[in-house]
Amino acid sequence: MSLTTSRTDWRAGIERRLTRTREFVDDADPEALAVVIASMGSLLTAFVGFLLASPWTAVPLGAFLIATGYGWVRHQALVARAVTFAMTTVTLVTLGLIVVFIFAESIPAFRYEAASVFGVSVPGLGMFAQTRWDAVSDPVRYSLLPMIHGTVMVTAIATLVAGPLGVAAALFIAEIAPPRVRELVKPGIEILAGIPSIVYGFIGFTVINPWASDAFALNGGSTYLFVGMVVGLMALPTVVSVAEDALTSVPDVMKNGSLALGATDWQSMTSITLPAAFSGVSAAVLLGVGRAIGETMAATVMLAGIPRISDPLVNVFYGYETLTSLIARGYGSANGVHESALFAAGVVLFVTVLCLSLGSQYIEARMRRRLGGAE
Amino acid sequence: MSQTENADAEDATDATAVTANRTDGRRASTTAGETVEETRPEWTSYEASGETKVAVEDLDVHYGDDHALKGVSMDIPEESVTALIGPSGCGKSTYLRCLNRMNDRIRAASVDGTVELDGEDVYQDGVDLVELRKRVGMVFQSPNPFPKSIRENVSYGPRKHGDIETGLLARLTGRAEPEREARLVERSLERAALWEEVNDRLDDNALGLSGGQQQRLCIARCLAVDPEVILMDEPASALDPIATAKIEDLIEDLAQDYTVVVVTHSMQQAARVSDQTAVFLTGGELVEYDDTEKIFENPESQRVEDYVSGKFG
Amino acid sequence: MSRATQTALVRDDRTTYEAAAGAAVGLSGVAFVVGLAALVGAVEIGDPVAGVELSVALGAVLLALGLAVVGFGVASRLGFVDAAPQPSAGVVAAVAFTAIWFAAGVTAAGAAGIGTVGRLGVGTVLGGGAFAVTALPREDVGSTVPAGAVAVLCGLALVTGVVGPGWERALAGYNATLFGDTVVPAVVLFASLATGWSAAKAYGGFGARGRNVGAYVLIYLVVGSILAVLVGLVAFVTAKGLPGLLNGVGVGGETLVRWPFLTNGAGLLADVAGVFPALVGTVWLVIGAVLFAVPTGVGAAVFLSEYAEQGRFTGAVEVATNGLWSTPSIVFGLFGAAFLIPRFGNQKSLIAGMLTLGFMLLPLVLITSREAILAVPDEYRDASAALGVSKWQTIRSVVLPAAIPGVTTGVILGVGRIAGETAPILLTMGGGVLPAKSAAPNVLSGFRLSASPPFVSNPALLEATSALPYQLYALITAGLSGNIRNPQEYAWGLALTLLLVVLAFYAVGIATRYYFRRKLHQ
Ligand SMILES: Nc1ncnc2c1ncn2[C@@H]1O[C@H](COP(=O)(O)OP(=O)(O)OP(=O)(O)O)[C@@H](O)[C@H]1O
Ligand SMILES: [Mg+2]
Repeated sequence: MSLTTSRTDWRAGIERRLTRTREFVDDADPEALAVVIASMGSLLTAFVGFLLASPWTAVPLGAFLIATGYGWVRHQALVARAVTFAMTTVTLVTLGLIVVFIFAESIPAFRYEAASVFGVSVPGLGMFAQTRWDAVSDPVRYSLLPMIHGTVMVTAIATLVAGPLGVAAALFIAEIAPPRVRELVKPGIEILAGIPSIVYGFIGFTVINPWASDAFALNGGSTYLFVGMVVGLMALPTVVSVAEDALTSVPDVMKNGSLALGATDWQSMTSITLPAAFSGVSAAVLLGVGRAIGETMAATVMLAGIPRISDPLVNVFYGYETLTSLIARGYGSANGVHESALFAAGVVLFVTVLCLSLGSQYIEARMRRRLGGAE
Repeated sequence: MSQTENADAEDATDATAVTANRTDGRRASTTAGETVEETRPEWTSYEASGETKVAVEDLDVHYGDDHALKGVSMDIPEESVTALIGPSGCGKSTYLRCLNRMNDRIRAASVDGTVELDGEDVYQDGVDLVELRKRVGMVFQSPNPFPKSIRENVSYGPRKHGDIETGLLARLTGRAEPEREARLVERSLERAALWEEVNDRLDDNALGLSGGQQQRLCIARCLAVDPEVILMDEPASALDPIATAKIEDLIEDLAQDYTVVVVTHSMQQAARVSDQTAVFLTGGELVEYDDTEKIFENPESQRVEDYVSGKFG
Repeated sequence: MSRATQTALVRDDRTTYEAAAGAAVGLSGVAFVVGLAALVGAVEIGDPVAGVELSVALGAVLLALGLAVVGFGVASRLGFVDAAPQPSAGVVAAVAFTAIWFAAGVTAAGAAGIGTVGRLGVGTVLGGGAFAVTALPREDVGSTVPAGAVAVLCGLALVTGVVGPGWERALAGYNATLFGDTVVPAVVLFASLATGWSAAKAYGGFGARGRNVGAYVLIYLVVGSILAVLVGLVAFVTAKGLPGLLNGVGVGGETLVRWPFLTNGAGLLADVAGVFPALVGTVWLVIGAVLFAVPTGVGAAVFLSEYAEQGRFTGAVEVATNGLWSTPSIVFGLFGAAFLIPRFGNQKSLIAGMLTLGFMLLPLVLITSREAILAVPDEYRDASAALGVSKWQTIRSVVLPAAIPGVTTGVILGVGRIAGETAPILLTMGGGVLPAKSAAPNVLSGFRLSASPPFVSNPALLEATSALPYQLYALITAGLSGNIRNPQEYAWGLALTLLLVVLAFYAVGIATRYYFRRKLHQ
């Protein structure tokens, strides 16, 4: 029932669009239309040429520039519209290209690590069914489990740092801080986001690792504990800024209503503002988790670089390898299936973080609808 | 004399724009009126019969450079209804917000003068705002229910003040009193003339109620805290005539135990429910304050007479 | 008065109590700071203080704080002060203290050499006790006694020297050993947090107000620590990097200012090894990324907010943009390596790095530009449309100028972010560890025309090039050594240069935003 309705809707939509396009084409100046078609056509050709790695790509690119330049002078409105549309598709195309290329490159590794379940060969299962990663000595295996374990350890610790601290700081900025203090703290936290990850890594490598090695009598200074804390610090600004947005979007009249009933500021925050902004705040934490998962350089520099699972599993005093550091460390010296396995690690990362992003977007959209309904 | 200085130099810029507007407005009204009438102090020096609950003395409020209330002095008697009327933007809401210090929340606002609740200065140092707002409740101009269930909205205040316990621990240790909460919710909703409409969906989200229902819910929410003074900013602005009549009955009823201050744009409403009426006119002045009958039948001020008879404003 | 329960607006009989509680909060703060200093090694726990070791002194402070906190609770419970406690400290506090005392029990039993079952048993008993003490009595007792007891326990351990300088315990199976030098400060930090929170509650007279004060104390502490970390980080890098960065700086000579660290390449021949090639690499990298991403992002934002109808297409673009925004930088690196490198001469190259960073910058620019364009009030558009101006004219002469502040700020902050990225260029751009001055890319004069396709080429764009963040990484992986005089100093100078470049973008971005906002308000 609803399916047919949606299909008719869909058809009607297409028809509407077709009619509009036709009207549009009828209305437009034929020369302008020709210029736009030439410009867009050559852009598309250039893109295809680039995809095929053709040396002739420069020709359609030049044609595009000439057609657009001419059109810009003569028919600016239409050309601007077409060009901005082309620019809009770039994001979609980029995401599509990332998916295609990373997946394509990872196929050999998935093939290599096929394992059979009930006689059916499942590609890539071997990456998750055993724990050996060794690209050099026999048997050569590419299990991602050790790195997934490392990523989970680092992300868990980072979330423990960035989640509570980030939400507390967001509450401070959105609700507690006097205006002058806010003007100071907000940029401060933004600047924290600006410190390059390699600088964190450098400090970790030259200061924290030796200190930890000394303070806990470790074999080498790499620990998931301190990598996690550093990564948490790096994910903190993301949590703060997104959560703060969510908190400030709660209408002031709601908070005033609570205060006028004689509730304290803290009570109003915990019973009104935080619950009302709950989705936004959890989206913030999810995005922070995504940042922590994808954080590369600090982990690469501070971790030992041994693809192994720590024993016991929760031993935070070991620091072996994460998915990101595996790629950063191994790329360049790897080739063949080994390189493909690094792409497979990239696929795991990409898919995980994309899911987190989609999840947080869904949550935020729901919150916007809810608060929108309040008006 | 005490004061709160929340003014912020940065906001001076906002306020400048507001002042410009307001100056224009005033000039326009003076040119429209034939003569500029001086406000005489005796028009506002009304002594009510009852004991004074809230005493306001020389109250000045600035939003940045904008002078929103000018030297207002009026004593609000206990257990009665005081109506505040006046054209839009004359400072009625501002005045109301001074009584429970909600103006503290507005960065640009600075308040000078004294407000005494039962003889205690509300603006002195060390005042517990929580205590003050428990005793001086407020219903806002536009309904602002919490995004929670109807029941939770009503019992919010008592819960926060620890009068009713509903938490997990309270339930575990047997301190929770669901019946008491239910009784409180029912009584408050009944007084606010809402019980009939919502008694079968107390656990629904309050945002699903109509605007008028939301406004009555906010009244119920305020009553549940059992304040001594209730400030109502146009409580009936979003209501149909029947609900309005109910609210008006409620206000009269409340005056038996509470001190009610109500802002309204409806002369009829002010005339019907209030014991005394204060008329503010554009510019943030209190022009006349007297028995309601006197204000509506025989005001001293020409401007007030024009205003209540609908000639301007 | 009609109401019997009327309460005064100002409580004035609690000043001594409040003062004592305030002092306890302050003392907890001092203990916290000293603990922090001991943890980072600024002071030693074995240092003598007033004739005793620091750890013993800290223990005594904790002991006193713990007793004081218990005293506050008891005084309130016995009605000596006019507080407003609620019937219970609440489920959050109860769970927290249960966890703390469970952990304390397990640790203590473990230290006493009891087996796993025994440990869990002791932990459960203590945890259960803490739950009962927190949850069952009135709030003033429930939120002081468990906290005070924690502090007393910790204080006793330190005062009696059970834990102190020279103490150590191997964590069996964890490949790590705990020493007094780290455990004592950690204990002090933890216990002072507990007493600080509890005393703050007492200061507020328990109840709603007390909780407010307690929570605020913790939040202020969190924010203070974050800012302290920020300032500490920047100050540390500056202190370590300045000698390298300022090495040989002088005024006069052939050029007006001599700054060899920024104008030299690396190599034994240079009297001062410098980062010139990497600096130039970063500059070109940023320029390339901006040239690609800013027009594209702003154009897309214009289309999305001015032309497109809200529908499936805009929804998809939005989801894709947010997806790209959160995609890890190393994945962009992989993508660049798989997509761009084969198309630009099959080797790591400057242009591959530029485009990879451009892809990363694109969602940042798009999101901020879109926000800025949407923030332009509709009245502007309507006013312009009412004058009969065409849509594109409106966009060009009304919408875009009004959106420029937001777009500029977004672009600058985004650039600051990508300028410090290492992972993508590690995979796509490469470069040497210690490039000589001649390795600096010379893009402007590198363009060549030719008769055969691709007709235009620029070898400078097609060569592996170093950039500041990449060079720092390469130095670290090379073990901070190399053919220069003082690799350590060089690396710190490099880190400081990178930090300054990035922070300069941020400072300019934030200042721009501030400037435009002020202008808007005038
Ligand atoms: N938050 C604020 N910041 C700055 N100025 C304000 C603020 N609130 C009110 N004002 C100004 O103070 C003056 C009085 O406003 P107030 O809201 O008290 O009027 P009112 O009498 O309640 O009007 P209405 O009947 O429309 O509700 C107005 O000029 C208004 O512009
Ligand atoms: Mg009003």
